[in-house]
Amino acid sequence: MNTTWQEQQEWEREFDAAARRSLRERMRYSFVYNYKPVLDDAPDRAFDTMAQYRQWCKENLPEYLGYGD
Amino acid sequence: MRVFSYEQSERLAEVLNRWGVDYLFIGKSGAFFYGYPDTTQDADLFPAKSPENGKKLIGALRELGFDLTPETERDLLAGKDFVQLRTGPFDVDLVFAPDGIETFAEAKARAVIIDERFPIASLDDIIASKRAANRRKDRESLPRLEAFREYLRKHNLVALPQNPR
Repeated sequence: MNTTWQEQQEWEREFDAAARRSLRERMRYSFVYNYKPVLDDAPDRAFDTMAQYRQWCKENLPEYLGYGD
Repeated sequence: MRVFSYEQSERLAEVLNRWGVDYLFIGKSGAFFYGYPDTTQDADLFPAKSPENGKKLIGALRELGFDLTPETERDLLAGKDFVQLRTGPFDVDLVFAPDGIETFAEAKARAVIIDERFPIASLDDIIASKRAANRRKDRESLPRLEAFREYLRKHNLVALPQNPR
């Protein structure tokens, strides 16, 4: 994925801003609840291999979540 | 709603460390400890895969308030590659075999201890894991994460300061 000079400048400003915050503040802003259909609808899931997990994500999760190829 | 908080990360580390669990924070939640600004929902942990570590992990998770079924306990002891938990005070993904990382021991040797208590996979390993997973969401997040790694290098930092003021 190619990035533009403007994107890189924006990221640099975001990193500068993060550097002015404490670890505690950064963590507060980092974890947000965002319901993910299917993924969040079962209490526990386990997969023998990562390949099986990836395959399950591809077959069961909405494409817009980005868990596919 | 179970949003992971700094206080919970402190409690998580305190309990896991007390139980002697061998683990690392990984993924985007690991990158946050370096100062990477972004958002996610759950904490990703990379525990060492062994029955002994599994037993310790079960004890620690129970103490933290996770309601583990006998089946989930068997999964944790059996050495499944990936276990997702949504039955505790916050959401956790346990990734026992992250893509792009050969062994836990190698990752641990490269890991960084942040704030004297949080064991975090190296930023290089976090990036390598996302690159190997190669999902669309990983490909979209990689350029910014790599730019953050360059930012740290440019400023000769392992991580952003924990208390800059």
